[in-house]
Amino acid sequence: MIKTLIVDDEPLAAGLVKEFLSSYPQFELVAICHDGFEALKAIQLFQPELIFLDIQMPKITGFELLELLDSPPAVLFTTAFEQYAVQAFDAKGIDYLVKPFSEARFAQAITRFLSQYKSAGDESLHPAADFPISGERSKRIVVRVKNEIKIIQTQDVRYFEAEDDYISIHTQEGKFLKKMTMKQLEESLDPEKFARVHRSFLVNLQEVSGLEPYEKESYLLRLRSGQKIPVSKSGYARLRQVLGL
Amino acid sequence: MYLNAFSSSSFGKWILPGIGFIWFLGAYFLLLHQGVEEEPALVDAFFFALFFLGGFLLLDRVFRHYTPNRKNGFLLVLFPLLLSGGLVWGHAQLLNWWFVEESEYLEMLELSVLYRWLFLGVVIQLLALLAVVISKLAGQEELSRREGQLLQLSKDAELAQLRQQLQPHFLFNSLNSIHALVLASPQRAREMVLLLSDFLRGTLRGEGQSWISLADEIKYLGMYFDIERVRFGHRLVVDLEVEKGVEGLKIPPLLVQPLVENAIKYGLYGTLGEVKISLRFQKEGNYLQVAVENPFEGQVSVPGGTGFGLSSLERRLFLIFGRTDLLEKSGANGIFRIYLKIPVAG
Repeated sequence: MIKTLIVDDEPLAAGLVKEFLSSYPQFELVAICHDGFEALKAIQLFQPELIFLDIQMPKITGFELLELLDSPPAVLFTTAFEQYAVQAFDAKGIDYLVKPFSEARFAQAITRFLSQYKSAGDESLHPAADFPISGERSKRIVVRVKNEIKIIQTQDVRYFEAEDDYISIHTQEGKFLKKMTMKQLEESLDPEKFARVHRSFLVNLQEVSGLEPYEKESYLLRLRSGQKIPVSKSGYARLRQVLGL
Repeated sequence: MYLNAFSSSSFGKWILPGIGFIWFLGAYFLLLHQGVEEEPALVDAFFFALFFLGGFLLLDRVFRHYTPNRKNGFLLVLFPLLLSGGLVWGHAQLLNWWFVEESEYLEMLELSVLYRWLFLGVVIQLLALLAVVISKLAGQEELSRREGQLLQLSKDAELAQLRQQLQPHFLFNSLNSIHALVLASPQRAREMVLLLSDFLRGTLRGEGQSWISLADEIKYLGMYFDIERVRFGHRLVVDLEVEKGVEGLKIPPLLVQPLVENAIKYGLYGTLGEVKISLRFQKEGNYLQVAVENPFEGQVSVPGGTGFGLSSLERRLFLIFGRTDLLEKSGANGIFRIYLKIPVAG
């Protein structure tokens, strides 16, 4: 039995997926969730192997939900928004069902899933760990604090620091960890507001209060909050460019 | 921009010679009155009128090629003054030569030079000012006419486009609901089809009919709520308050709906659990006041900006009423409020 979860904020839409799915006895529906919060709990509780995931939902989107999972299950996106297809592809969704979809189209998606599922243990079944966060320039970052979801506005972030596989997000409220790479993060942020000043540091330009020389050919960036951030040679060049020095 | 104020065909054909003739007659009789003999008076007046016309045309030419502006506005005063001085001097020289023997007349001429200069100077001065004013007005009229046309064009296009923007995802999600209901509850599926049809018809109206009654708008909003209730069931609660007697007021279509859409977007799509949206319509002076309230979560931004949005609504309000102060927003304690004032007749 393949444990399956349906996540959709519209009961009727979730019901339809359930109805279509009922013709496939190898799938076991473990839960239907109507928002990302419920879904996060259900995923931790049931460890499903497949999620039917709506994208536009209250509070957090389907994409943001995926970002919060350490090892996300296989995903079939279901949405009325065609414009998310590219993003869904980046997130390595198995398929992208545009609502309303026919039973035949649903069957096709199931077949696609099963063919990949059979070539078992295949990594490609799972959403990529390095897909660009929430597509376009995001204004917020969703993190998990124990089992709670926390939404951070990017403008409230002082700076980001790389820590192994994680990025620590420093805000006035404290430090939050999220599993992602510096590259992903950099791509998701507005380059006019954030600058990568060092291999491991990305700062909010609004928080910068000064720049001081440090040893030969290197600098330290001073933030309003008092912290000092190392600036690499290429980071210095980038800063000069962005700040118009 | 000096737009040939005095060079239009009718002006050149009739008015200019007319003024010259009146000038000539005036000068002639004035000279006779001063005791000047007939012949010198005739010649003097004729040349005085001719010089006036010549000076005037010269002024017209100069200002046509060279427009005085704020910075060198003094030229507008100085140039006519110098010009009239030159003309009066030239006129005196000519008549001195012509009537070299008429000492009595020449004496009078010499005495009158200053007055002539003053008079000619003032007249040319006034004409110059008039020319500038007329050309400015004509230029402005032309400009505002073109602006008006342009605005009308873009207004039509924009309104059409704004109507088009009506939430494709709303439509597709509703179709998906019908899709789900067809087997599970055929009766409700039918209801939904009818609701959606009426709603879409309402969206597409406005082509022929620009203003509708508030009662119609409320009916239309009711359909919108009904559709959302089919989609989200139990979660949506609507509190509608309509002041007595306002139902008959005429308003532009699709002004209130974006507010409701916004309330749904942030209320229903943005928060969890039950959502209460309240709507109040009342008349205040010459305005229909619409107040919409919905719960919201400050930190949450809702994805999918395909809807009308409030900025589009502001744009529409500006296009329809030419005002930017009709929409007010405030958010506090998890409740978002919008006040819309729609100008209505009497």
